[in-house]
Amino acid sequence: MVVVNDRDHVAWHEGMTVHQVLKAMGYSYVLITVSVNGKHVPREEYETFAVPDGADFKAFHLAHGG
Amino acid sequence: MAPVKVTFTINGITTEALEGSFLLASLKANKIDVPTLCHHKDLVPNGTCRLCVVEVTDRGKTKTVTSCNFPVKEGMVVSTEAPSVVRNRKVLAEMYLGRWPNVPAVKEVAKKVGVTGSRFSSDLTDENPKACILCGRCVRACETFIQEKIIDFAGRGIKRHMGMPFGEVDPHCVGCTSCAYVCPTGAIEVIDDMNHPVDPLLIRNHGMRVNAEMANLDPSQCRMREVGTANIVEVMDAYDLLPVCNYKFGSHKDTPKIDSKVLKEQYFTQGHADQCWHGCSMACAKAVDGYILKTGPYQGDAVCVDGPEYETSAGGSNMGCFDPDFIVEFNFYCDTYGLDTISSATTIAFVMECFEAGIIDTTITGGKVLNFGATDEALELLHEMARGEGFGVDVGQGIRFLKEKWARELGADAAFLHDIGMEAKGLEYSEYVSKESLAQQAGYTMAVKGPQHDEAWLIFMDMVNNQIPSFEDKAEALYYFPLFRTWFGLMGLCKIVWNDVSPADNKKHPPQEAAKIPEHVHNYWKFFEGMTGIPLDEKKMLDQSARVHNLQKLMTLMLGYGTRQSDVPPYRAMGPVTEEEYLSRQERYDGQLTANLGLDPASMDLPAKMSALRTFRYEQYDKVLDAAYKRRGWTREGVPTLERLTELGIDLPELVEIAKKYQ
Ligand code: SF4
Ligand code: SF4
Ligand code: FES
Repeated sequence: MVVVNDRDHVAWHEGMTVHQVLKAMGYSYVLITVSVNGKHVPREEYETFAVPDGADFKAFHLAHGG
Repeated sequence: MAPVKVTFTINGITTEALEGSFLLASLKANKIDVPTLCHHKDLVPNGTCRLCVVEVTDRGKTKTVTSCNFPVKEGMVVSTEAPSVVRNRKVLAEMYLGRWPNVPAVKEVAKKVGVTGSRFSSDLTDENPKACILCGRCVRACETFIQEKIIDFAGRGIKRHMGMPFGEVDPHCVGCTSCAYVCPTGAIEVIDDMNHPVDPLLIRNHGMRVNAEMANLDPSQCRMREVGTANIVEVMDAYDLLPVCNYKFGSHKDTPKIDSKVLKEQYFTQGHADQCWHGCSMACAKAVDGYILKTGPYQGDAVCVDGPEYETSAGGSNMGCFDPDFIVEFNFYCDTYGLDTISSATTIAFVMECFEAGIIDTTITGGKVLNFGATDEALELLHEMARGEGFGVDVGQGIRFLKEKWARELGADAAFLHDIGMEAKGLEYSEYVSKESLAQQAGYTMAVKGPQHDEAWLIFMDMVNNQIPSFEDKAEALYYFPLFRTWFGLMGLCKIVWNDVSPADNKKHPPQEAAKIPEHVHNYWKFFEGMTGIPLDEKKMLDQSARVHNLQKLMTLMLGYGTRQSDVPPYRAMGPVTEEEYLSRQERYDGQLTANLGLDPASMDLPAKMSALRTFRYEQYDKVLDAAYKRRGWTREGVPTLERLTELGIDLPELVEIAKKYQ
C-alpha cells in the first residue's frame, strides 16, 4: 500500500514507479512536485524511480488558473 | 523517458552532462571560464560572436566549435586552451576592440584573453561606449519573449545595423523591454516616463524575470501563450472539478469537444500580446477571427470574438452544452451585450435544472424547451435577457431573484431552489466544483463581493494535496490568499503572472510556502517599491490589504450581506443535493461516511446516507467559518471586531458605528 498525500491509498506492487502511482491516482496535472518518503523525485525519474511498499508519497499540485 | 547522460573530458577532466545540453554549461559547471558576448542565459544560443570557441575531438576528427551552441557528445575530448583556439579568441577580441574600443563589455572580454590594444582601428571605429556590437541578443529576445521580429538586423556588410523596420517605431512593439534587458552594451535605451516610477530599473529587472520564465517555462507548464486560460478545461475535467449541468457533476465524456485542443486547432487565430498589461509577454489573451454568427442581431456577420477563456468553456459545460460553436457565440454575445459570461451561464444552468425538475415549463419559458444542452434555446434566452423581453426579463435578474419569485408565485420548493441555486450574496458562483474542498467552499462564499474566486482558489491545496488538513490550516489559507489577492488587485497587478507560470525551482520551498510562489510575491513587492519607493514585506502587504478588505466587509454589512448567514453556500456547492448526484459518486461518498463518521453505508438507505453526509458537511463548514473568522479578527457573526479596526487604523467613528451594531 502506498499512502498518497497522507490520505489516499494506492495498492502497491513489485517494481511500482512514481509514474504508476500518479496514474493510479488519475494525477495528470503538469505542475506536480513528487516526494517519496520525504525525498524529492525529479520528473525525469518518474518512470524509473521505484516506490517502496508503505511509502509516504506526496504529490504536491501547484495551483494555477483560478 | 529518463534522460541520457553522456561522459566526456574537458582539459583532461572527465565530466558528465545530459545529452543534448550545450557544452558551455558544462564548462561553467567545471568552473572553466571562456569569454562570451552573444550568449545570454535566457536565450537560445546561436554562436554569433564566436568568442566562446573551443577545440573538440570527436571520433578522430578535431575541429573548432562555439561552445555556447555545441551539444555535448559521448566520448568527446574538449580543450579550451589549445593554441589554435587561444589564438582565435585573441584575434577576435582585438577586432572587437578595434571597432568598439570603449564598450565596457568588449573591454572586459579583451582583458580576459590578454588583449590590451588593437591593430584594427579604422573608419568604422565607433567610440561610443554604448555602441551596438551586433551581437543579435535583442533579435533573439524579441523572438523568444514576444514571438515577434520587431527589432532586427538591417543592411549588409559594414552597413549592417540594428533597428526596427524602416527605422520607425513599430506599433507592434509591446514595450516589454526584453531587448534592452539582454543588450550587453546599453545600446537600447528605455525611456521610462509612464507614471513616473521612482526606480524604473528595479521594475524592469523583476519584470524581465517574468518574461524569461514565460519564454523558457510556459511551454512545458501552463501553455498560457499557446491556449490561454482554456488550458485548464481538460485539467478540471480530469480532477472532477469542471462544472457540468449546474454543478451536479465534475466531468463529462464530451469535454474533449470543448477543450483547449479544439479551441487551439479549430478556433484561435490570435494569440499575441494585447497590451492589457503594458509590456507583458505572456499574451494569454486569445481571439477567434471570422466567426460567422448563427443567431441574434448580427446573424450572418463574420466577427472577431475575444476568447473563449476557461470560464467561458466551463460555462458551456455547466449548461450541458458541449458545442464549441455555441461557446464562441455565447462568448461573443455576452461581450457585445455587456453581460458577464459567468453569471449568465450559471443562471441559465440553474434555469435548465429547474426546467428538467419540472419547477418551470414552457408556459413560463415562452415556449423554449430549456433542457441541459439546449444550445439554440440558451442563445435565444440570452438575446431575450439583453433585449429585456419575455422570459429574459426575469432570468436577466439572476438566480436570487428567480428563486424568490418561483417559490412565491409558483409554489416551488424553496429549500430545493436554495440548494441548487448557485449564488451567494446575490452573485452567481464562478465555474469550479467545490464539493470536495471545504476551504474552497469558504473561499468562494466568504468572498466579500460574492462567490467569485479572485479572493481564493484553494482546491488543489485542500482537496488534492491535503496540505491544509486542520481547520486552523484552512483558516490560515483563508487569511493569506484573499488578502494577497485583494492586494495585487488593488495595485492593478495582473494575477496571471503570479501563478500561471512558476519558477523552475519553486519546489525548493516546503509546500505551504511553495503554494504562495514566494519569488513571484517578491516580484510584486519590487514592482510596488519601484513605483513608490516604499519597500514591502509580507506583513506590510497584508496589512495594506486588510484595511481595504475590512472596509469592503463593512460595506457589505451596509448593503445587508455581511453576516454569517451570507457566508453559507447553497448545498450544491458543498455536496450532492440529488440522489442522481450521490449515486454518480457513490463510492466516494460511501467511503467518506465510513472514514469520517464510522457509519456502515451498506446498512443505510440512500436518503439516510445523503442526510448523514449533509449534516456532517454543514458541521465541518461551520468549523471552518469559525476558524477563518477568528484568524481574520472577526466575530462569530463574521463582523470585524472593534479591536481589529483599531489595529488596522481604520477605527473611524462612522465605521465603528456600523461594526458596533453587530458586536
Ligand atoms: S521591447 Fe519587446 S516587443 Fe519591443 S522590440 Fe524589444 S523585445 Fe521586441
Ligand atoms: S542592440 Fe544590443 S543586443 Fe542588439 S545587437 Fe546591438 S548590442 Fe546586441
Ligand atoms: S558566446 Fe558563443 S558564439 Fe557568442
